[in-house]
Amino acid sequence: MLKLTFRNLAANKARFVMTTFAVVLGVGFVVASFVLSDGLRSSFGDLSDEITVGTDLQVRPVSDFGEPPPLDQDLVDRIASLDGIEVVAGFVSADDNAMQPVKPDGTTISSAGPPQLTFSWVADQGLGSFALVEGTAPDEPREFAMDIDGAEANGFVVGGSYDLVTPIGVVKDATLTATTRFGSDNSTLGAVLMHVSLGEAQRLFGSPGTVDEIGIRLAPDADATAVAAAISGIIPDSGVEIVDQATLNSEQKADFNQGINIIGNVLLGFAIVSLFVSIFIIYNTFSIVLGQRVREMGLLRALGADSRQIRRTVLGEALLVGLFASLIGLIAGVGIARGLIALFEALGASLPDAPTIVALRTVILALVLGVGVTVVSSLVPARAAAGIAPIAALRDGARLGSQSSRRRSLTGAALIGVGLMFGVYGLANPPGTTLALVAVLGLAASLVFVGVSLASHMLARPVARVLGWPIAAGMGTAGRLARENASRNPRRTATTGAALMIGLSLVSTVLIIGESVKSRLGDLLETSVQADYLIVDDSEAGVTSDLAAELAATGQFSAVTGFRYDEARLSGTVSEVVAADLTSLGRLLSLDVRSGAIPSDEAGDVVLLHMDQADELGVVVGDVVPAEFATGTTIDLTVAAIFADDTVIGSPIVPNAVFDSAGSADVHQWVAAALADGMDPDLAQPLIDQIQQRYPQVSIDSAAEFQARFEASIDSALAVVNALLALAVVIALIGIANTLALSVHERTRELGLLRAVGMTRRQVRRMVRWEAALVAMFGAMLGVALGVVFGWGAVTALPVNFADTVTIPIRRITVLVVVAAGAGLLAAWLPARRAGRLDVLKAISHT
Amino acid sequence: MDSTSITMEATAARAVGATKVYGSGETRVCALDGVTAEFERGRFTAIMGPSGSGKSTLMHCLAGLDTLTEGRVFIGDTDLSTLSERKLTLLRRDKVGFVFQAFNLVPTLTAIENITLPMDLAGRDPDREWLDNVIDTVGLRDRLTHRPSELSGGQQQRVAVSRALASNPEIIFADEPTGNLDSTSGAEVLDFMRHAVDELGQTIVMVTHDPVAAAHADRAVFLVDGRIVDEMADPTAELVLDEMKLLSRR
Repeated sequence: MLKLTFRNLAANKARFVMTTFAVVLGVGFVVASFVLSDGLRSSFGDLSDEITVGTDLQVRPVSDFGEPPPLDQDLVDRIASLDGIEVVAGFVSADDNAMQPVKPDGTTISSAGPPQLTFSWVADQGLGSFALVEGTAPDEPREFAMDIDGAEANGFVVGGSYDLVTPIGVVKDATLTATTRFGSDNSTLGAVLMHVSLGEAQRLFGSPGTVDEIGIRLAPDADATAVAAAISGIIPDSGVEIVDQATLNSEQKADFNQGINIIGNVLLGFAIVSLFVSIFIIYNTFSIVLGQRVREMGLLRALGADSRQIRRTVLGEALLVGLFASLIGLIAGVGIARGLIALFEALGASLPDAPTIVALRTVILALVLGVGVTVVSSLVPARAAAGIAPIAALRDGARLGSQSSRRRSLTGAALIGVGLMFGVYGLANPPGTTLALVAVLGLAASLVFVGVSLASHMLARPVARVLGWPIAAGMGTAGRLARENASRNPRRTATTGAALMIGLSLVSTVLIIGESVKSRLGDLLETSVQADYLIVDDSEAGVTSDLAAELAATGQFSAVTGFRYDEARLSGTVSEVVAADLTSLGRLLSLDVRSGAIPSDEAGDVVLLHMDQADELGVVVGDVVPAEFATGTTIDLTVAAIFADDTVIGSPIVPNAVFDSAGSADVHQWVAAALADGMDPDLAQPLIDQIQQRYPQVSIDSAAEFQARFEASIDSALAVVNALLALAVVIALIGIANTLALSVHERTRELGLLRAVGMTRRQVRRMVRWEAALVAMFGAMLGVALGVVFGWGAVTALPVNFADTVTIPIRRITVLVVVAAGAGLLAAWLPARRAGRLDVLKAISHT
Repeated sequence: MDSTSITMEATAARAVGATKVYGSGETRVCALDGVTAEFERGRFTAIMGPSGSGKSTLMHCLAGLDTLTEGRVFIGDTDLSTLSERKLTLLRRDKVGFVFQAFNLVPTLTAIENITLPMDLAGRDPDREWLDNVIDTVGLRDRLTHRPSELSGGQQQRVAVSRALASNPEIIFADEPTGNLDSTSGAEVLDFMRHAVDELGQTIVMVTHDPVAAAHADRAVFLVDGRIVDEMADPTAELVLDEMKLLSRR
């Protein structure tokens, strides 16, 4: 029987290439996700060794929450005077994108890509991990250095003078004194790495006389434990810790791994969706192919093969196909991984030379997944084939027996029910980790998909008839036959459509969530924001409070306030806290105050609480809430007002004075401003332009512009997700092409007859293509319907200030269905061509 | 010359020196060896011969389903060898009717849709009066909305003959139309074809090896090894059987 298995495969090569292709793509992406993350993990592991190898001990501030206050710079000298120390240096590092150099063409480097990082220069290469390539280290104010790749890519040359955008404003005409190299090969992942002198770093990003951390290299004969003990004698009892090189290294690796795991898991997720789609295609192919071989199977049975042998032959075929596809997928996966690295590099990320690691685990997983998916999808067809009676050999038109239509629909309905229950339960009681939530929802969605594909054959005929009506009316006989063909085998149409349904349901879910979030945002901005301008620091590093002060000083605005963010522990719970100018607040945002009133800015230590938080803390207006800041300062805050609208700010709001006394940084994340009464926005524009020039890192938007920008950012996120989902859609289209090719083969005699009685080649092609379009549209509409259900679930589960009502982007979804139908037309191109080229006489006598 | 004189022309189809060779060298098979024959309008001709005699090939070439190696075939006065693939298809659609041995009907279409299929493909409305006439003759009016799977074998073949008739073609080719039928159903179909020639003035060329079937024709042409070896006017089953026996002994 094994011989037969091989012969069958050899005889139907082309037929299996298509099936294999679906598995290859799925397995390929699984493999790519592992190869890529293993490679990156290995090279970033080396990188973190390199970064930390020169640092034996590190002293750094620590706190349970929030940003701890920096260390006193004096501590550096005090540690230097201890025994056993070779080098000690204090470091100051800026937040991501806090400093942005202005390129020779007058623009800054985009802060949407890899970050721009700035550090204080430490001469010792072991501690600092940087070496000078050209020039001298920055030493004076208005001097900086940049990594060699960043400088080359952006046109900075040593000795040139450039403006620097910083939190305190634009630093004019700073000199690039040097180019540097990070580690041994400057693997920056596309980040631009810059240095300024310690004093300059303190001036620009921190506060004078403080450092963020202290690095120490021990003398060759020193004992680390003894030195650490000596250091702990001179540092404060709390808020400072000493860590050794091993801890730093593992922290650094964990830090890198986090990012690598995200990339790997996202790829893996999409790969699994693709594999899942492949199941439908393989199942369909095996069913159709076996259906065409019923007589052959009957003959085998008549000649004495028992049903177990038949089943084994079929499963054996599946096993071989799976094995073959997995091996190709393995190779393809390595290729895809290399391709992705090349893609990252093309997008500007310079990755360390990642070795291609094909771990044993990857190989085993590829084989298990590829073979497993193929064999599982052929189980049902194999059972049906085993049930073929010997008499089938003699009967013309014998069919593959299968589950009754009724049982199939009931099973489908049951699976849909269980899946929906799972989904609702998962959304109502979200499990602790994101992974668990994704797993629960994924399982729920899979059950629904399988259920719909089982039950939807009931819909295939009526839907194909309705959708096909315009085609039948507009395309004459070819159109009418396309419609009949799409509805003649509802199970085939349903399974083929189901493969497309999966991708499209996910795409439309994503679109619906995006649209709902956008529409909610639009509503909220309209009701909650009275400010004429929203000034947002795109670098997220925070902009100096001078900006707000300068705006207010023009006298053209009725209200201006910046917003400062920090964390504090309120009655034991850590929460984000916002500081603002309370006097202006009411004219810029409507907080919908429910009790109390927003006090003036000089009201002292007060807090405005959102009603949910007030409930949680169990406080009312007039009660006192102790707030402990990361600096260690605790301030008793009196509840002045309780508000209901958390559109813009849901966190406790305090006056600026509270942050000042707590020692929180005086930088604004964003600024809101309202024009003075009667002030013409056109007249204010020069003022706005002037501010924009002084602080290029901020975007100054009207509420409408802000909304547009936010929507654009949602759209681009959606585009990325949908591009990845496109893989699943492509696999489904291959499935459509495959089914059509098999159907054409099956209907050879019928096509011959049609050709004989006068159907032109063009009409034949048109008939096949429109059948594919109908199947695709059927799948797309099922997908969209499911997408609406899923989208509704997701929107309901989202916090109400993200989305409250389900908004369906009807235009985009219509486009989706139309594009799917068009893609179906395209997918059927080859089968249609083949059908058109059939030799009439051979086709008529085809058996 | 006006159109009447064309349609009144005596031959519906003819072959002149029709030769069809398959393969070459060792495997060379000459399926038709210079066949010249005429098929008169309004007559029912049977092409007879043992298997491998070339009778199906002759019919396929006459019908524009296959092309000749040498010689020419005409439907009316159209020389098929000059036509492109597309023109041939249109000619089959508009001028020729077909009845095959089996698998004559498109399973997804009803009986009436199958009957009007060639006209639907052409985007032409059928001639209502003619169509009614055909349907009445075939006697399947109550089954017109049935799918082929709901019809008996004999009924399916009668629908196939109706389809061939429906566009009132120049000529109808039938390839063993009763080969898959029991004798009663076969007789029904043959009677219907006879009727189509007598009452509706159709021209039918039928390939068969069944002497009983041939007996329904006006004329029988005998083919052996790709050549016409004999012909018989007003054949009867007995005479045809004797002739066949004689031929197979050659």
